[in-house]
Amino acid sequence: MHNHTPQPGQERFVAPAIDTELPTAVDVDTSHPPESQWKQAWKSLRSNWIFWFSAILLLLVLVVVCFPTLFTSVDPRSADLSNSLGKPQPGHIFGFDRQGYDVFARTIHGARASVIIGLLTTLIVTIVGLLTGAIAGFFGGWVDTIISRAADIFFAIPLLLAAIVGLSALNNVWPNRGYWGGVSAVVIALAVFGWPQITRIARGAVMEIKNLEFVDAARSLGASKWRNLFTHIIPNALPPVIVTATVSLGVYIVAEATLSFLGIGLPPSVVSWGNDIAAAQPQVRSGDNLHVLFFPAGALAMTVLSFMLLGDAVRDALDPKARK
Amino acid sequence: MWRYIVRRLLQTIPVILGATLLIYALVFLQPGDPIVALFGEKPVSEAARAQLEAQYNLDKPFIVQWLLFLKGALVGDFGTSYSGQPVSDLIARSLPVTFQLAFMAMIIEAILGVVAGFYAGLRRGHIFDSTMLVVSLVVIAIPIFVLGFALQLIFGVQLQWVPPTVGSATTFTNLLLPAVVLGLVSFAYVLRLTRTSVIENLTADHVRTARAHGVPDGVVNRRHVLRNSLIPVVTFLGADLGALMAGAVVTEGIFNINGIGNLAYQAILRGENPTVVSVVTIMVLIYVVASLLVDLLYAALDPRIRYA
Amino acid sequence: MTQPLLEVSDLHIDFSVDKRSVNAVRGLNMTIYPGQTVAIVGESGSGKSTTAHAIIDLLPGTGKVTQGSIRYEGTDLVKLPARKRRGYRGSHIGLVPQDPLSNLNPLYKVGAQIREVLEVNNVAKGKAADARVVELLEEAGLPDAKRRAQQYPHEFSGGMRQRALIAAGLAARPKLLIADEPTSALDVTVQKQILDHLDDLTSELGVAVLLITHDLGLAAERADHLVVMYKGEVVESGPALAILQDPQHPYSKRLINAAPSLQSERVSAQERTAIRRAAQEHVSEETEVDVETPAMQIQSLTKVFKLPGKGFSKTDLIAAQQVSFDLARGTTTALVGESGSGKSTVARMVLGLETPTEGHVYFDGVDISTITSRDQQLKFRRRIQPVFQNPYASLDPMFSIYEAIEEPLVVHQVGSKTEREERVRTLLDQVSLPHTVMNRYPNELSGGQRQRVAIARALALNPEVLVLDEAVSALDVLVQDQILQLLNDLQVELGLSYLFITHDLAVVRQIADDVLVMQGGRVVEQADANSIFNNPQEPYTQKLLAAIPGRDIPLAG
Repeated sequence: MHNHTPQPGQERFVAPAIDTELPTAVDVDTSHPPESQWKQAWKSLRSNWIFWFSAILLLLVLVVVCFPTLFTSVDPRSADLSNSLGKPQPGHIFGFDRQGYDVFARTIHGARASVIIGLLTTLIVTIVGLLTGAIAGFFGGWVDTIISRAADIFFAIPLLLAAIVGLSALNNVWPNRGYWGGVSAVVIALAVFGWPQITRIARGAVMEIKNLEFVDAARSLGASKWRNLFTHIIPNALPPVIVTATVSLGVYIVAEATLSFLGIGLPPSVVSWGNDIAAAQPQVRSGDNLHVLFFPAGALAMTVLSFMLLGDAVRDALDPKARK
Repeated sequence: MWRYIVRRLLQTIPVILGATLLIYALVFLQPGDPIVALFGEKPVSEAARAQLEAQYNLDKPFIVQWLLFLKGALVGDFGTSYSGQPVSDLIARSLPVTFQLAFMAMIIEAILGVVAGFYAGLRRGHIFDSTMLVVSLVVIAIPIFVLGFALQLIFGVQLQWVPPTVGSATTFTNLLLPAVVLGLVSFAYVLRLTRTSVIENLTADHVRTARAHGVPDGVVNRRHVLRNSLIPVVTFLGADLGALMAGAVVTEGIFNINGIGNLAYQAILRGENPTVVSVVTIMVLIYVVASLLVDLLYAALDPRIRYA
Repeated sequence: MTQPLLEVSDLHIDFSVDKRSVNAVRGLNMTIYPGQTVAIVGESGSGKSTTAHAIIDLLPGTGKVTQGSIRYEGTDLVKLPARKRRGYRGSHIGLVPQDPLSNLNPLYKVGAQIREVLEVNNVAKGKAADARVVELLEEAGLPDAKRRAQQYPHEFSGGMRQRALIAAGLAARPKLLIADEPTSALDVTVQKQILDHLDDLTSELGVAVLLITHDLGLAAERADHLVVMYKGEVVESGPALAILQDPQHPYSKRLINAAPSLQSERVSAQERTAIRRAAQEHVSEETEVDVETPAMQIQSLTKVFKLPGKGFSKTDLIAAQQVSFDLARGTTTALVGESGSGKSTVARMVLGLETPTEGHVYFDGVDISTITSRDQQLKFRRRIQPVFQNPYASLDPMFSIYEAIEEPLVVHQVGSKTEREERVRTLLDQVSLPHTVMNRYPNELSGGQRQRVAIARALALNPEVLVLDEAVSALDVLVQDQILQLLNDLQVELGLSYLFITHDLAVVRQIADDVLVMQGGRVVEQADANSIFNNPQEPYTQKLLAAIPGRDIPLAG
């Protein structure tokens, strides 16, 4: 330490005291209403145009799924061979396919199977994955070993191949299963082999959260293991699970279409985008009649794209780190 | 290190056993008579039936069948298909083709995905970044068979740059388009992963410190940002090998390639159970080996990981 | 007359947040002469680090210099094009960053990272660079430098990494070195060694140092000239000693009063005695327990963790060994130690969160390991409560403040809904928080406020013992002082006993009656606070005391 006369620019300076307000211990900013993390996420979602873009599209899709007859009065199952491969025309804006079905009506009515399969599969996979992952991560030890190895087993078989094998097995034990039977079969096949993905994510998140101090604090005040798991740990582990689930919704819709394309997904009697795309394939080999393929494939792609965009927006909202 | 490999190999045993048992159960534990699948509705003599049941171990309990299958698989004997060919021959014929296809697809997705993701991440929010994000989403959103079909139509039928179908002529150029199609979806994931990782690493403390030490931006981006961002990408690529093999089911169908995906698909449709379980077993093995390799590669890329 | 090396005048820095611009720094003036050490002192959010980043043109995100100049040897860096400015980094202005854990690239050898600095600044290339790297590491005080250069950062301790970063910062021989909280992530004894070494090295090389720190004592001890910042503005600047002995601005006065390292000598032992007496009085008058029997008895606690070792065997990590002490009612016992000393492991065993390998914890004469029934468990739990270190992790982000404080009452099924609400209000009063925080969420509160909430939650069940595990370590000086004050008040008011875990010997003086100094899992010295501070017996205790920054600075008054 040197004690000499200050050099130019280093003279003693004291700011006028009035310029600076000194902190008090307990000032709380009450200028805005209280915000939970969910509310903050919602606020950030609200200001994201990608969210609104995908949300509006998905809302439209949902309306189509619930009330297809609002959009078309044509029966998607009534064919007139004389219209075979007819071009788009007034009243039949998407034209006709080879069987003479109205492509617009098929596209509208086809939404239901695809979207329901996506939603149901995601729902089942998320619940199963969240529970198994949370339990494995929370309890550790042999519970973790058993769940993790089981997840490894189901994960080791590529999803598409596993679903094909599973569906062909279902075909044998459950032939002629109609609309809802057909839909359920695809959901089962995809869900049985899809859950480990969520399990792994949930397990990782839970293992991270269970070591945080607020969990120790809850333990110290006598909260039981289950209370800790369900009130503190799982809610905090939800964000990454929700993000993955939203994105995988789109993936399952594509998977359904692929299975139907391979002729093993939904029964041909079910009106679905996948079936229509599969049926359209041979008609367009030469490059003609593209409308037969374009509309169902386009509808499917738009729906999947919307879910993907929604997943992106949700991730940005739930994980502020990813935003910056 | 060796200890880790040994432990890791031991860990894969229950996975392989469980996965094969699962598939075996799905395929064989079904009502219906596989002999009927063989001969159709033709009547079969009792003696012939007994002989066939013995040949395919159908007379034994299910678990024994599975164990006998495993025993054979250990020495590369996957039994005989219902059409009378050794399954190992079928696999030996088709697996190299799919390997070649998947390998090409992986190279394409890795190089394009990493390069595009790297530049997109560096220029976050700019035109290139936004374009790449949209492209990646579109690629994921459009089913691969539609995309494959579109590319086949454009490059194979219209422009005639490549043959629309491959058949038995599995040359590099013939497989190029199918490989692109197969790798497209994974390319989108690699791109997005690299981009996220680059963005994260750009704000890392050690990157800022390197800049503070006077390291030029280009060098910082390559040596510190890119290198560090590759670690999660490599992990993804390893796990992706399994997905590529499965994706081959579709791609090989579109381009008529006689690979293992096609073999599996045809076998499932025809109820060729021995072939189905064998092919799936092979795929599980590939997946397991790939994830082991990824873990080891991980250690090579990240000195913090030391397997004790 | 020497020319200034760096002259910052009227510097304004803005960040844009949600399309609005926020001033981070307003009208900062500062002059540094060659070879001088200047310190910017401030709490978090004061703009001290932002200023440092502006000087090296590495403002994060949307940060921008909107006004003012930064003159380095007469050249205004703000007006230079980015490419030219880059030339100043490393070779003219070096940086020693804050957190040694995150500032080295984990994928490259330490030597290679220093070599990179030499090469990009054209100091040395090839073999010469390798040799220079070893010299630089030796110069930074790293033993066995040749071998160390070939190792990766994760093989280094925190102190070694910081030495490597010092070597890298000085590699291209800058004239100004910015040291941004260079030692705040390190243990006190390591901190002292590193700062001493940095002092010697920079004065030997004639390098000027701009030291950024939150620690007034440290700044005063190391710098010639001080700049005190508060909320983006300079409130006071001038010769270090002058400011310390005669602060003029109210903020500087408060800062000096609150700094534990500076005031610990002045807090009279009587003050502490008075608190203890009042607390014990409360115990004997208001409760039925005998104040003479200890609240807790800790008997030869030992914890051994099994870690995977060579081959298939496991090696033992002895986290705590034969730790024994009594916690008298209405008093505070402090467990002091550096990282790895085992103090937190002991705290967790006392709380029953970790099972001891050997030894016993007696609570009110009952061995807690014998408590098995859920009922008994709950009874034990309500009598001893923790407050943890990290105010950001100790409250569930999904719970509102009301829910957080109410949770213990819910778990123990205390009272009706309205009674519980009344209790939460009382608790908020006790920790001096307005009732308006009840429907807020943790992320809307400051660190100090969260810690108050954590204390309120811990008090909800009327416990007798609080285990304070580094409960004030993450807080800014002023807030830390307020919380310590609060804890002392509560002790008097409620007759609480505290087990106070800390790495910071300076704060111990303000709160503890008895002190255990721990090192490597063992207790090295155990005595009352006065003896520890005035007459330390063990060399390790003496070393810890000597490492408290600014302890030897004579204060006026």
